Amino acid sequence: MFYYSININDEQEKEKIVRFLHKLNLRYEDDIEFTLTVVDNNEIIGTGSISGKILKCIGVKPERQGEGISAKIITYLMQEQFKRGRNHIFLFTSPDKADRFINLGFQEVASAEPNFTLLEMGIGGIKKYLENLKEHKLRTNDKKTISSIVVNANPFTLGHQYLVKKASLESDAVYVFVVKEDKSLFPFKVRFNLVKKGCQEFENVEVINGGDYIISNSTFPTYFTRDSEEKIVFMQATLDVNIFAKYIVPTLNIKRRYIGEEPYCGTTNLYNKAMKQILPSVGVKVVEVPRLKIKGVAVSASTVRNLIKKSDFIKLQELIPESTYRFLVSKEAYPIIEKIKSSRSRH
Amino acid sequence: MKDTAKIGQSGTLESSDILVMVQLSPDQNGIRIELESPSKKCFGSQILKTIKQTLHNLGIMNAYVKAQDRGALDCTINARVETAVKRALKFKEKGDV
Repeated sequence: MFYYSININDEQEKEKIVRFLHKLNLRYEDDIEFTLTVVDNNEIIGTGSISGKILKCIGVKPERQGEGISAKIITYLMQEQFKRGRNHIFLFTSPDKADRFINLGFQEVASAEPNFTLLEMGIGGIKKYLENLKEHKLRTNDKKTISSIVVNANPFTLGHQYLVKKASLESDAVYVFVVKEDKSLFPFKVRFNLVKKGCQEFENVEVINGGDYIISNSTFPTYFTRDSEEKIVFMQATLDVNIFAKYIVPTLNIKRRYIGEEPYCGTTNLYNKAMKQILPSVGVKVVEVPRLKIKGVAVSASTVRNLIKKSDFIKLQELIPESTYRFLVSKEAYPIIEKIKSSRSRH
Repeated sequence: MKDTAKIGQSGTLESSDILVMVQLSPDQNGIRIELESPSKKCFGSQILKTIKQTLHNLGIMNAYVKAQDRGALDCTINARVETAVKRALKFKEKGDV
């Protein structure tokens, strides 16, 4: 029996893995950066892959299960992750299989019954994240109205600012979480800084790095399920909101979550639906705010990106705060604007 | 993460082994150990003692250790901790990698 990493650019080798996983009712995903195979007697008997911080597409031939092969695969993948400077990793699986991984040393973060469980291992983890979160805690009485908002802010618009302002006026303290996952056209650092600048005028607002526990849809693997896309998105939203309800709400004593009404994007709509279903059960009121309209048009980050694409800086100025505008006309923004112009992505 | 450069890892998740991650950072005061083990109830304190003793022997006063035990013997724990510490120190010398 021996282990080797396949050349993921070699279609023939990849095809073998795809076929192997297919027999196990699993799918090989596109965003994989590293794949390990275990071969015995010229036959693949196990595999596992890496995509960012996530281990995925792990499978062992049924006749060879129980020999400790998956422990070897996980160890190997962990060491590979470590070489890449990642000390903390995630694994998504179905709840009925979670025990196997927990026995190998993974810890459960949260579940979305009946489909998904999120597990983690390594240095850091949810405990550490919550410790850091406590340092951001604003000085208020825990009984007061404490609100939260989650934004991707790609980039920060007057629409976001309007939502923050409303929350700020109606609450004693507001936490604004910025999604960290870097699958957006504006990199996290830029998005985070623009949110910070755009929220500076509100004294009771604290801007927080969403870290690894505000999950974005692009990271969510679906290789082990055959559900429809809509159902998967809803399960993912449920998992994300469950983590929020289980860890972040009690740590910061959050009482409200402000969300923007979503007229266009189906994914966001499903997220809003999940929030309304779950958050009231942990004492969090969901406040849905209609979108800010300027000259009859709802302000959204995608509209802003479209205007950037068209280089329509006059119209743009009406939809974004001065701080965002100033960034967009700076030298720093040049590569991002180029990227937006050449991109067809909606995100 | 600011401290990625000062982490050392050693061991595996296979049966009778232990996976040890050691983080040497200036913000850490004293020794903090997080242990996961199937035999934590019986041998948890013994494993912790072995890890602490090994760190002490190496002159490490401040460290965050994450240990994923799978039923390792004391000598294995010893070796894994020592290697992880030395790897972390090596990272530290090289600076940002």
